[in-house]
Amino acid sequence: MVKFLAQRLLLVIPTLLGVAVIVFVIIRLIPGDPIASLVGPNSTPEARDELRERLGLNESIPVQFGIWLLNLVQGDAGNSIARQEPAFDLVLRAFSQTAVLSGAAAIIALVGGLALASMRVLSNNVFLQRASSFISTFAMSAPQYSVALIFIVLFSVGLGLFPSGGTGSAMGGGFGTTLYYLVLPATAAALVPLGIIARMASSALRDVVTAGWVEQLHARGIANWKVRLHILHNTVPSVLAISGLQVGYLLGGVVFIEIIFSWPGLGQAVYQAITQRDLPVIQAGILVAALAFVLVNLVVDVLQGLVDPRLRRA
Amino acid sequence: MTAPMTVPRLGFKKFTGRRRRLSAPAKVAGGFLLLMVLVALVAPVLSPYDPIVGDATQRLLPLLSDGHILGTDGQGRDVLSRLIWGARPSLLAGIIPVIIGGGVGTVLGLVAGLGSARVNSIVMRILDVFYAFPAVMLAIAISAALGPGISNAILALSLVNIPPVARVAETEVLRIKDAAFMETARLSGASWFSIAFRQALPAAGPGILVFCTGLIGLSIVYAAGLGFLGLGLTPPTAEWGLMVNELRQYTFSAPIVALVPAVLILIVSIACNALGDGLRDRMDVRMEARA
Amino acid sequence: MTRTALSVKNLRVAFGKRKTQIVRGVSFDIATGSTMVLLGESGSGKSVTAKAIMRLHDSTTSVSGDIHLGALDLLAQKPADLGRIRGSKLAMIPQDPAASLDPLSRIGSQLAETIRRHGLAKKRADVTAISVAQLEAVGITDPTRVLRAFPHQLSGGMQQRILIALAVMSKPGLLIADEPTTALDVTVQAQVLALFKELVSTLDAGLLLVTHDVGVAREIADTVGVMYAGRMVEYGPADQVLNNPSHPYTKALLNSLPEVGMPRGSLVPIAGQPPAAASIPSGCAFAPRCAFATEVCTTEVPPTVTVGPNHTSACVLALENIEVAA
Repeated sequence: MVKFLAQRLLLVIPTLLGVAVIVFVIIRLIPGDPIASLVGPNSTPEARDELRERLGLNESIPVQFGIWLLNLVQGDAGNSIARQEPAFDLVLRAFSQTAVLSGAAAIIALVGGLALASMRVLSNNVFLQRASSFISTFAMSAPQYSVALIFIVLFSVGLGLFPSGGTGSAMGGGFGTTLYYLVLPATAAALVPLGIIARMASSALRDVVTAGWVEQLHARGIANWKVRLHILHNTVPSVLAISGLQVGYLLGGVVFIEIIFSWPGLGQAVYQAITQRDLPVIQAGILVAALAFVLVNLVVDVLQGLVDPRLRRA
Repeated sequence: MTAPMTVPRLGFKKFTGRRRRLSAPAKVAGGFLLLMVLVALVAPVLSPYDPIVGDATQRLLPLLSDGHILGTDGQGRDVLSRLIWGARPSLLAGIIPVIIGGGVGTVLGLVAGLGSARVNSIVMRILDVFYAFPAVMLAIAISAALGPGISNAILALSLVNIPPVARVAETEVLRIKDAAFMETARLSGASWFSIAFRQALPAAGPGILVFCTGLIGLSIVYAAGLGFLGLGLTPPTAEWGLMVNELRQYTFSAPIVALVPAVLILIVSIACNALGDGLRDRMDVRMEARA
Repeated sequence: MTRTALSVKNLRVAFGKRKTQIVRGVSFDIATGSTMVLLGESGSGKSVTAKAIMRLHDSTTSVSGDIHLGALDLLAQKPADLGRIRGSKLAMIPQDPAASLDPLSRIGSQLAETIRRHGLAKKRADVTAISVAQLEAVGITDPTRVLRAFPHQLSGGMQQRILIALAVMSKPGLLIADEPTTALDVTVQAQVLALFKELVSTLDAGLLLVTHDVGVAREIADTVGVMYAGRMVEYGPADQVLNNPSHPYTKALLNSLPEVGMPRGSLVPIAGQPPAAASIPSGCAFAPRCAFATEVCTTEVPPTVTVGPNHTSACVLALENIEVAA
């Protein structure tokens, strides 16, 4: 088991390295003088020269990468041009907001998806089965921005039930208020993962329910409720895998929701940075998103190994 | 005397017969998508108004207005016309990246699948790194780096499509790698190209193709998303994503009209998925029959 | 003294809304301490018969007739009671051992579950003791290691032994084995069959073994029932049915399956295919493929004729005492 953990951890390192390389390349792709992008148009020639020296831009590319990476690992991604504060600070603050939104969306997606999957596989009602199938296809296909706007028009403008934007911090914050402001954006963000989880969990559940050993449990006279526990236990690994992937995507993919609902998260921060040509923030933002995704996958991998012993083989 | 139930009934219909044709929803979806393509093709002829020039006196007319069945936008331009003209870039930006990404991804998958364990490992590892980015972020990042414009958007989307296709292709190729006909081809001394494109590709092809058709819907949504963010075409061009963003400011003053392009993209996306599902069902049956 | 472990009369099983008849009136008895082999090709209805006796089917399947386990009327039992009967008075050994054990539970916990369910023990120490004893009884030499293992870590033969242990631990009066050796290597097959023989005699239980393998029947059967298209076409003592078959299908079947000691070139396949359950011809189901079919065979359902002591054959030719050429 320990060997399995160590193995998984080791595999993460080259991936993270690769991520760093790609971000480096993307940043370098941006046309124009990198120094101007990093320091801003209102800088003095001296400041620019000093930065050039510090970043080793007079050196070869691999050395540049090395210096850049070293700075990153120490938590230095440069300062945001727009706000003159360390890029990582800004990004991490925004990330915490995204984490809240994604967390809520993940819970909605998981609960809803599993409910739909159970409806599809375990109920005896043909109507429920068809409904579940239809809803999951619909949910899966719904573009974030379309859903967000439809929700706002329906529930905010139309029915006046929920606010159309913001986190409620202006109202004094607090758990209840945040929750109230979370309802629409989290549900909108949750739809696609919900559909995907519903569909894949259905298939996994079906495989388990029709397995030979389930019949054998009945053949030995084991009580129905105990058999259901066994079935549940066996569906956890697949559901874990699917959900993990979806959570990862949620962490980096809620840009549209954040923009439309004015939720000050990572996606919105990166987008603003793009319009403002704020390179340090773009760079830090993408890195944090990728890092979060990799970590979530790692956790899911390990959890899966814990639940399903067959996966512990190398 | 019928015996009482002993085992909980499995709550879904067993697959009793082979479905030979496309299911009804899939056919409806396919028809709708075909309609969209036709509309895109004959846009200049079909569109009732000029999509770029608007009449400021006619701004924000509601749905079902006289002469403007889908209303007008903030600049007095007819929404229906803009949607019709917008079909071209929106659909193209969805389909072309799948073709390009699908092509490159398939070749990568062939290389990884047919190659040695080491080659496979290297290729898949590199792809895994791309997988570490949520697709949306990656598309935005690349597109932003390259700059605005539709060709850059298409390039960014193509790149984002490559890893998923490559992964599916590799899986499919590995599945048939040890089949008898592959063994024969290798033993007969065929070149890698010959084995890859004349043996492996036709066998692994259907699975890859079905996956790619599923990607088209997603690609259209992403393309419109890039348009929404201003990373694709620029105003005043008509493009569905761009329209969603332009009309966003009128959510409170003209809510229904503001929703129109968003709803259209939603319907197109659902249709693509429904069609993809139908195709996949039909494909599975064929693959079963061959096995 | 032998008693009747299982008595089946006129069992009929039909599937689905269209009530497709899969088993069309099958009757047989199994005495305690004896083994009956249900022999037939795929689609003959033999597995369905076995499952029906275990009452392992869903609500769309209708089962009628008479099934008595000793004095117990199985078809009249309510689901709650069935839970107590299955696994204790009546047990099943499945076909594919690898797919028959919960992959995420250790062997020890799966054994413990069944032990506790049928009240064989409560305290953990007793449960472990019984588990170890049961595993040893089926020939597993290192039971403590096996108890901690997961199913995928064990070989097919080992898994099958565990399933057998699970089946016999409550000392059932009847064992049902559905193709128990099909998924195993040939050498392991012999061991498992030997194990069955031993268990049948120690438990003084009846064993119903379903198979398509004549070799298995020769090895272990006391009685043989040959099924075709949902009917029992021949039924009698193993020695009679296998060496002196009366029904044309039995003869054709025996001639078409390879066995050790057969002279070369003597295999004769049976032309054609068994009929699908939904499209069984009227009259005798085997008539289209039978070399001795007569006109009456296609119009009348053949009667069950006694051709020897406890030996029946469902064929008109037997009625007229016509000796069917081998």
